[in-house]
Formats: sequence, structure tokens, C-alpha cells
Amino acid sequence: MMLEGKTALITGGRGGIGRAIAARFLREGARVYAADLTPEGSLAAHDEDGSIFLKLDVTRESDAIAAMEQVAGEVGQLDILVNAAGIEIEKTIEDTSLEEWNLSFAVNATGTFLTSKYALPLLRKAAATGRTASVINFGSYDGFIADPGLAAYCATKGAVHALTRAMACDHGPEGIRVNAICPGYVDTPMLQSFFTGEGSGGDGKTIDQLQQAVRDVHPTRTYGTPEDIANLVNWLASDEARYASGQLWVLDGGLSAQVQQMKL
Amino acid sequence: MRLAGKRALITGGRQGIGRGIAEAFRNEGAAVTICGRGPRPKGLAEDIIWHTLDVTDAAAVEELAWTTDGTDVLVNNAGVQVEKTVPDSTDVDWDAVIGTNCKGVFNLCRAYIPRMPEGSSITNIGSISGQAADPSMALYNASKAFVHGLTRSIAVDHGPQIRCNAICPGWIETGMLEAGFDLSADPQAARKDALSRHAARRFGKPADIAAMAVWLASDEAAFATGQLFTVDGGLTAASPINTGLF
Repeated sequence: MMLEGKTALITGGRGGIGRAIAARFLREGARVYAADLTPEGSLAAHDEDGSIFLKLDVTRESDAIAAMEQVAGEVGQLDILVNAAGIEIEKTIEDTSLEEWNLSFAVNATGTFLTSKYALPLLRKAAATGRTASVINFGSYDGFIADPGLAAYCATKGAVHALTRAMACDHGPEGIRVNAICPGYVDTPMLQSFFTGEGSGGDGKTIDQLQQAVRDVHPTRTYGTPEDIANLVNWLASDEARYASGQLWVLDGGLSAQVQQMKL
Repeated sequence: MRLAGKRALITGGRQGIGRGIAEAFRNEGAAVTICGRGPRPKGLAEDIIWHTLDVTDAAAVEELAWTTDGTDVLVNNAGVQVEKTVPDSTDVDWDAVIGTNCKGVFNLCRAYIPRMPEGSSITNIGSISGQAADPSMALYNASKAFVHGLTRSIAVDHGPQIRCNAICPGWIETGMLEAGFDLSADPQAARKDALSRHAARRFGKPADIAAMAVWLASDEAAFATGQLFTVDGGLTAASPINTGLF
């Protein structure tokens, strides 16, 4: 049990990756607050898993304040914050409306800012116990290299990467570690939406054929599962990672280790 | 004439990128010396000096440095490529790739740095493959990463007297690239696929790399040192997944 006695809050906690993180944290002995817009999040239904649902719209300052007040009242400290809430607009800048652009930043960048800002007093209390507190943001490999037709998403993830380093720099002396996970292709509702949406060229192929083609580009010949991501989030949240801070952790099956694969 | 008064040495200037750099430097007014293993290449402008040199031969490199004393622009372009994975690579492959791409660059830098005047610049030809891997190019990829590391070291150790940078070319139209397409089952489709992965929708030309080399050698680049300059038509800015091509 790597997280015994720790309290964690996960935004997007009922989404594809968020649920896997919550499940792992619970198995490792943590008290878990799963914060999301609805108890079901981006999936159709949710079975009780032992996590405590917190209604949180990450774009609303009042929601962040209320969520942290609840954690303060019930526990008094927060050891782990995972900023996993995110949205993806599948468009070029030409097709992206100002509203879509602003919404992308509101959720992916401002959401990370707001939740972290109001979690800081509780993170400091956790750090004061002598164990480090850990913030894990969600960047993306798209913050380094671009997928076509994902302009606003790529930009928000680049912002999260820079914010991660800035937070690590500012709050490391207080015993708060800040890292970002940069997933590649992970099997989630967001990915399925990408395959069926405008981001995909399609070329008359079925979704299954398209998915197989995408898997084949990976050195691992598969894309990730939410559990793969949760494995690294768990480590970063644990005391084993006490010297890990300020880094961007790419987890993508080797996808971005290679130059584009031409069909030769 | 942005390189007037400069004296440049370019290794491996027989063809391709090296030749392109030699011609661009000459056009910008530099006195140009190039070198390579064989005899003087045909068609080379008369005022470009040619030396026959194997860059892996440290004594010969030392002698050339003495002969070309006063050189203030060094371009380490000579390189070889072996297309194999680690278990398939032989000792001969190791000596060829590491000998030329690593030891050769080291030999040149070791011989020239003590002689180069204040304000000199060294430009190494690295590769996008030194940052992300091309398949079945293990030793080549690793040798270019060595070049990138050496570039930073020289910049740190020998500034402010000498600037040192690397250019990382992507796919450049040379004989080697054409030969690669000819080997594929459908050369036309392979070419189309590769082109569509470049934001520029074309491959690079030696002149594209030479343009960056001219700038780095010029006094306009006086504050540029210790960096890798990728010139690849946008290839590595994009993800390896390009669903538009599936």
C-alpha cells in the first residue's frame, strides 16, 4: 500500500483516466475525492468504488473554493492533487471559434491553475507533516509535437507544461512536488471521440481499421490503457517519488521517440 | 557578402549537403577549403581548395590543421550511415559510423580549436535522428546524439572565443534519398507518403541546410551558440501519427 494515510483529489475523477487513477489510489490505501461535473463524468454510468464524489466545474473559482472547503472540513489536509480534467476541440485554428478556444483554456489551463491555487493551503498542511505533497498535472505528448487538427488542445497542453515547471519552482521549497504526465494515445472516451470526429482523416476505413493503424505506429504496437497512466500517477503521488519534481513524464508507448514512419 | 574575409574548412564537401555549404560559403565571399577521402571532385569551382583526407586519421587531421592555419569557420559535415539494428551491426559498422561521425568530428575539433582565432565558429551537422529515432539506424542515431552533446560541450568550454552549434537536417534530397525510394515496393506511393508528412510538402535541398550554415558562420549569429538548429520542413513538429494518411 503505497498511499496509506494520504488524501487525494482528482479532477476529471470520473473520466476515463481519472477513474483508473481513483481505483488505483483506493487500492493503495488513499482517501479519494473524485471531482467531476457529474457522478458519471464522461462515461455512461458509474459503479460505487469507494471514492467520494465532489461536484466540481474546474472553470469556476467558487467551485474550487467550495471543494477545498469540504476537504478541509473533512480531512484538514490534501496530500495529492491530480489535475486530470480536460477537453479536446478537434479543429485547426481557422475552424476554432473564440468560444471553443476560450473553453479549451478554461478547462485545461485555467482549471489546473484554479484547482491548484485553492489546494495550496491544504497541500502545505500535508507537507508540514514531513511527507511531501504531490501535484500531478495532465500535459500531453501533444504539448511537444502536434497532431493535426488539434490546435487549441496542443496549445493548452504546452501551457500546462510550463505551468508545471513554474509551480514546481515556486512551491518546491514548501515541500510540494509538481509534475506533469504527458500521455500519448490512451484508450478513453476522448480517444474514441477523436477517431469518430473531425480529427480523423478516415479515408473510408472502419474505426477498427483506423485504430489498428494507429496501434501499428507505436513501437509497442498498442496504445495505452488508463491503468498504464495510473501506474505512473501512483508512483509520482507516492513517497518513493520524493525527489521527482518539475518534470514532464511522457508515457506514450515510444510513439514520440521516433521520427515519423514513412510507408517505404 | 556575409562571409567576406572568413576562411572556412568543410569536411565531406564532395557532394550533397557539404557541397551545398561549400558553394554557398564561396558565394558569400569566404575562402573555402573542403576535404574528403577520394580525389578532387569534378566540377568544383577552381577557387575552392581540395584536400584528400580521412577524418578518422588524427595525424592527417593535425597536419591539415597546420596547413590551413587561420581557419575561422569549421563545418563538420562528413558522415556515414549504416542502416542496421544493434544486433545486426558488426565491428566494421561500428568503426565506420563511430569512426567518422564521432571520432572524425572529435579529431577536427581537437586539432582546430587551439588554432582558431577569437570570433570563430564551429558548425556540426547533427540530425533529427539524434533526437528521435529512425528505425534500423541504431549506430547512426547514436552517433548524431554524440555530435549534439559534443556541440554543447565545445560551446560551454570554448566560449566566448569560439561559438559552436549543430544543424539537424531532416530529409534532404540527395542521391541517398532517391536510392531509398527506389528500393520500396511502390516508389511513387512512398514518395507521396513521405512528402505529406512534411508541413513544407517538399524535401529539403542541400541549399536549405547551407542557408542555415551561412547564417551560423556569419557575424549575424554572434549570440547563437550551444544550440541545435533543426531544418526539416516541419517533419518533427508533427506526431508520428498522421491519421490523414491511414
